[in-house]
Amino acid sequence: MILNGVAIDATFAEAFGMRATRILVTALNLKWAYEAARTMTGFATSVIGCGCEAGIERELTPDETPDGRPGLAVLLFAVSSKELAKQVERRVGQCVLTSPTSAAFSGIDGEPVALGRNLRFFGDGYQMSKVIGGRRYWRVPVMDGEFLCEETTGMVRAVGGGNFLVLATGPAEALAACEAAIDAMSKVRGAIMPFPGGIVRSGSKVGSKYKALGASTNDAYCPTLRGAVDTALSPDVGAVLEIVIDGLTETDVRNAMRAGVKAVCDVGAAGGVRRVSAGNYGGKLGPFHFHLREILA
Amino acid sequence: MTGPCLTLKRTPPQTIDASALTPDILAGKSREDILRIELLSGNRRLRVADLFDVSGDDAHSSLTIRASMDRLACVGARMQSGAITVEGDCGPYVGLGMRGGKIVVQGAAAAFVGCGMRGGTIEVRGNAGDFVGGALPGDKQGMRGGSIVIGGNAGDRVGDHMRRGMILIAGDAGAHCGSRMLAGTIIVSGRVGHSPGFGLKRGTLLLAHPPAQVPATFQDAGEHELLFLTLLSKHFEREGGAFKAFVPLSNRVRRYCGDLATGGKGEMLLGLSTNT
Repeated sequence: MILNGVAIDATFAEAFGMRATRILVTALNLKWAYEAARTMTGFATSVIGCGCEAGIERELTPDETPDGRPGLAVLLFAVSSKELAKQVERRVGQCVLTSPTSAAFSGIDGEPVALGRNLRFFGDGYQMSKVIGGRRYWRVPVMDGEFLCEETTGMVRAVGGGNFLVLATGPAEALAACEAAIDAMSKVRGAIMPFPGGIVRSGSKVGSKYKALGASTNDAYCPTLRGAVDTALSPDVGAVLEIVIDGLTETDVRNAMRAGVKAVCDVGAAGGVRRVSAGNYGGKLGPFHFHLREILA
Repeated sequence: MTGPCLTLKRTPPQTIDASALTPDILAGKSREDILRIELLSGNRRLRVADLFDVSGDDAHSSLTIRASMDRLACVGARMQSGAITVEGDCGPYVGLGMRGGKIVVQGAAAAFVGCGMRGGTIEVRGNAGDFVGGALPGDKQGMRGGSIVIGGNAGDRVGDHMRRGMILIAGDAGAHCGSRMLAGTIIVSGRVGHSPGFGLKRGTLLLAHPPAQVPATFQDAGEHELLFLTLLSKHFEREGGAFKAFVPLSNRVRRYCGDLATGGKGEMLLGLSTNT
């Protein structure tokens, strides 16, 4: 399959089951909602070293938020419900509670995970509970007024690790194509791209020559190792970048991948893009397989 | 399918305990079964047939009581689900210990509306007596969930010992409003009598008009914009009906901490929009 001069590999992305939640972060204005949400989703690129993968799903208008203020929907993904609960509490406690004028609400129904349930103890006994419309909220007194936080958020089963690789003539071309992909993918609801700017340059393979490491650089896709290893790159490929996708459902991941690959193909060979591929483990580890050609069909 | 309709035929000789007439109890009963239900009246037992004409269909998720008067006590007591519409007035203990469903009293209600209730909604379009959402004498907790909306005025000690839930009063409230409250929310759009929040431990007393005198055991915490009031206002909008009377709810209030004689963890909020 060749689209606009870009070869689409006959391969698939392999993804895994994860646990996820959506949290709505609001503030006095969008600037401070972004401050809280970006801080909360910082250092959340990969579950390998960060405990969770997180990102901003989309902006919310005041009509869409529980408190009628500007806000953002944030998605968090973790490998287990226990880890998700830990990450939610830490990140909301350290990054949202601390952020001026912020408030946090559940953005999804599901198995309850503590949101303000434990953070309320920061109120040192002065916290107040309010049950409104069957949902419990905590009012925690803080130095700029009150931190309003819903008691729990919902946890759902989700899909993490959808991906595709953009192979281009050089780093600038690969990055421009990926940026176009991220622009398109950020409009898809229910999915986030957790790496910096949504883009990964350090794709990994399973295992390492060093016993302590479970993963190491994906040498087959490193252009500077061409000739030294069993490379997956043709001579005209000078750089490879990857986009990793976590979604609330398989469909969300598929939709995001489709939007992203199509945007990359729109850049096309004229923009230096040569191939689009995807990462997998032979299909034996992850239950979700996203075949590139099927997605684009 | 409006459910059975019970029309009071005559003035009962004494107060009638109507707690046996809830949609849960009437579910699955035929008209004849309903006519045979016994109701306590003083030390006597009267059958529904002695007091009411029964009409309507067999859909028992709702019940209408027509020509009601203040001798009907405990209407909707302990009901779990469904709806009761009372055309007329009600005696005491409307929705006593209620757990779910909705009661609408189109007239007035006597004391102890929603006493000890745990869920559901009670709407009284007229005035209500003392101890709305309060506790039975001797009980340590009053209302423990649900909502009560009073369209008219309420008597003394609204929300006495209230533990959870919401009481909304469109008119005035009597003395000691929110007395000994443990938690929950009371909103009064009209004026309140003396000593509001007397012995209030936790919870929120939101008054549209300042009381004649703020009790000495409530201390001024200044003017604030409280976000939870926006959530309340949006909730009222979503609920519609009687709740609409409390919209818009300004989130800018003057906060008084109290009752400091009983810990001071509660609050009296004075609405500023109608305060100036």
